[in-house]
Amino acid sequence: MRFVIRRFLLFVAALLAISVVIFAALRILPGDVASVMAGLNAPPERVEQLRSQMGLDRPLIVQYFTWMGGLLRGNFGTSLLTGRSISSTVAMRASVTFPLIVLGLVVALAIGLTLGVVATLATRPAVRSAFHFVAIVGGAIPALWGGLLLILLFGRGTGLLGILPSQGFPEAGWGSFGSALASLVLPALTVGIIDGASLMRYTRSALGDVMNSGYMDQAMACGYTRRQAALKVGLRLATPQLVSVVGLMFAGMITGVMVIENLFALPGIGAGLVTDLGNRDLIAVQSELFMLAAFFLFVGFLVDLLHRFLDPRLKHAVQGGAQ
Amino acid sequence: MSTNSGAYGENDATDNKTTGTNENETATNASGDAANAAGGSMNASDHNANAAGGSADAGDSSANADAHNNSSVKAEDSAGSTDETLNAHVKGASGGKAGNGKKKGWIWAIIAAVVVVALIAAFVVIRNNQKASIAPAQVHTADSVTIGLKLAPTNLDIRNQSGSSLDQVLVGNVYEGLVARDSNNKVVPGLAKSWEKNADGTSYTFHLNRGMNFSNGDKLDASDVAWSINELMVKHYHDSESLMNFKSVMATDADTVKLDLTAPYANLLWELACRPGLVFDKNANYDMKTQAVGSGPYTVAKFVPNDSITLKANPKYWGEHKAVTPTIVLRYFGDDNAAVNALKSGDVQVLAPVTENLAEPFVKDSEHYRVAAGDDTDKYVLAMNSKGAKTSDVRVRQAIRYAIDHKQLIASRGGADKPLGGPIPSLDPGYQDLTGLYPHNVDKAKALMKEAGYTPDHPLELRLTYANTYGTELGDQLRSQLKPIDIDLKVNVVEFSTWLQDVLKNKDYDLSMVDHNESHDFSQWTQDTYYYNYSNQKVKDYYNQAMAASSDSQRDALLAKAARVVSEDAPADWLFNYRITTAMKNGVTGFPLNLNQTLLPLYNVRYMTPVK
Repeated sequence: MRFVIRRFLLFVAALLAISVVIFAALRILPGDVASVMAGLNAPPERVEQLRSQMGLDRPLIVQYFTWMGGLLRGNFGTSLLTGRSISSTVAMRASVTFPLIVLGLVVALAIGLTLGVVATLATRPAVRSAFHFVAIVGGAIPALWGGLLLILLFGRGTGLLGILPSQGFPEAGWGSFGSALASLVLPALTVGIIDGASLMRYTRSALGDVMNSGYMDQAMACGYTRRQAALKVGLRLATPQLVSVVGLMFAGMITGVMVIENLFALPGIGAGLVTDLGNRDLIAVQSELFMLAAFFLFVGFLVDLLHRFLDPRLKHAVQGGAQ
Repeated sequence: MSTNSGAYGENDATDNKTTGTNENETATNASGDAANAAGGSMNASDHNANAAGGSADAGDSSANADAHNNSSVKAEDSAGSTDETLNAHVKGASGGKAGNGKKKGWIWAIIAAVVVVALIAAFVVIRNNQKASIAPAQVHTADSVTIGLKLAPTNLDIRNQSGSSLDQVLVGNVYEGLVARDSNNKVVPGLAKSWEKNADGTSYTFHLNRGMNFSNGDKLDASDVAWSINELMVKHYHDSESLMNFKSVMATDADTVKLDLTAPYANLLWELACRPGLVFDKNANYDMKTQAVGSGPYTVAKFVPNDSITLKANPKYWGEHKAVTPTIVLRYFGDDNAAVNALKSGDVQVLAPVTENLAEPFVKDSEHYRVAAGDDTDKYVLAMNSKGAKTSDVRVRQAIRYAIDHKQLIASRGGADKPLGGPIPSLDPGYQDLTGLYPHNVDKAKALMKEAGYTPDHPLELRLTYANTYGTELGDQLRSQLKPIDIDLKVNVVEFSTWLQDVLKNKDYDLSMVDHNESHDFSQWTQDTYYYNYSNQKVKDYYNQAMAASSDSQRDALLAKAARVVSEDAPADWLFNYRITTAMKNGVTGFPLNLNQTLLPLYNVRYMTPVK
């Protein structure tokens, strides 16, 4: 329990630190939302008028504490530009991004775990190096290029097979469930294949380590074949390591899908963040970045907890170290 | 069309689901088989392990209960039927290499999955083809048309937010002005059916149409007109500064509005056809950033910032431009390739603009698409800081103008754009062809550079700063075109906000490039404080005289004179007058080609699916 509390306090402290960094970093950027709103031909007085209307002329420290005060009350603020509540905008964008990364993760897990296990168990050197090659090449594909290839293969209207939509999200959102899901298939495949390749390497190396350990000899001594031992004992032993990787991968995907969302014209978090930043809608950007950072840290927090739960040895190690 | 694509979507999704399940099932089965096979081979090949199999019961704490049970059952099975499993293994081994028996399960699983996916894909393709071949043989007018555009508005607040994307969507479609403009950029009647001005041009009287109303049912009369213009001026809304010499506006009766000026202003009517003349409901209470209450043929049904706007026909519309298509969806594509894909796949029926080079496939496929270019007032201005350390020398600026090969620039973009030798484009008053002032002449440019003190050994280093919305090609081309005249151009592509700060506000630049798409914007050249840093009293005088002119022809002649002076001074080079290329499906009618990035009347747009 003490571990959980300590870990949670660390999480909160990191969040606070990040909020300051985000706020400060955005203030260094040249340009502001008032000049974007006012446009090219506006007289300077109009820009100033807009700045003061939006409270941008107040001292930075006041702006920071106003923002933090809002956050503490669960109010992420209102976008200066769109006039919409930031939390509802993010929720709307997340309804595209989250299903996308969950689908992507499913694809990555299916590819990465399966091929990773197969690659570990492969005995012939040729097969092993083939898998190795696939993993390296797969992991090295730039998301943009991979996505374009998939569009060329499957994209409706453009692709060879022309079976899947490659642009945008349906007007009705998840209201038209089929179309919404269909529009996420290609982006999810793009994310999944690339991350799957990296996951395959991790799986192979984690499982490989376990395979060389005494546990395997023990398992095989107990009557398991090498394959049985790998699947039933090895995977279980490698799980904590893989959970960390998958957790970080999941968190990383949120930011990683920016390119994918732009390519497939999806109105998700990544694409939205790019636009908001371009427009210098700083209140929106700082809240969005903060939420992403919180999410990232939270996943790390969960992974740590899960790690300990999955691998009781860590608990003893920590306690042993403390004594 | 929308129903069709919806159906496609659902099918695709179902297919995918099926694929997923199949794969999973196959994988599970295969792994089961593999495990069995492995058990078999282990029995045969490793007697020690087999013998130890019994001791698994004694308890392997790391294996879970199920696995443990299974394995013990298997161990018992195999112990009970050693001969059978042995035989099975021998059979397997005789069919192939003994060592590979283990891998086969996986390989077969992958092959099976690939086959299943391929079969489903083939099935879908064949069915789609069949669908296409049995299309109904009559003309169908779509209830909904989707239009792909490029620059997205971030909110709907047309009184505060700059950007032509708002004018494009809202002016004439949702909000209407006192007067309007047509596709040739000329003023035509709007909410006012007629008007007259007094002899010295300082007082205008507008006679309004009768029976007008807003989409919420409120009556629209002269009091709304006067209130809207007063609010604009008092609250300094966007573009209020363009109503020069404004004195007062009042409703003399329900159908008449009188607008007084302190001095004549020749652009007044045209300005009133844009944002300053828009009429809002003085009694309506709504959030202008997210909603719109206007009197036009359409209402905003849904607005997703940076993504799409859905317009629905206004059932209470009062005028002649009644919407032909009930629903118009405007979708925004930041990425040009994405936009082209959307047109190809039928997700949009019109694309405006489309990059000319990317429109190639549509030009070739005239059976299904139509590609056309329209005139616009976009001027790609290469500004040269008139007070810059290096560009204040007029010889340098002139040399740059001589060195730029406009024909080549235009050709590399596909060839639709027009050369433009000065600050006024052909759709604006005062236009004259000034392309002869600085014809492409590298020798002359070199001579000027030499005179200014720059040689191949001592080249001039200049920074070109522009916003990333224009891509990198233009910068690269300019760099290579200026290289022969001993200019070493450093191209600096920045975010728009950074550009606003560094160039527009701080004037910290040598060269900059912007697409100035505003119409009637010559006054830029009369403002000393504008980022060009340009100042010429003669130009100001001509311009002021033009604005005070009593007739349009007098105004145009004076503007033309002013434009010539500006062009001669070379405070900028006008790279080209951008022309909008629009690509659309055959069957789309009523879509405006001219000016459609700032003025896009949609009431007449219709999409009829072609007859098979």
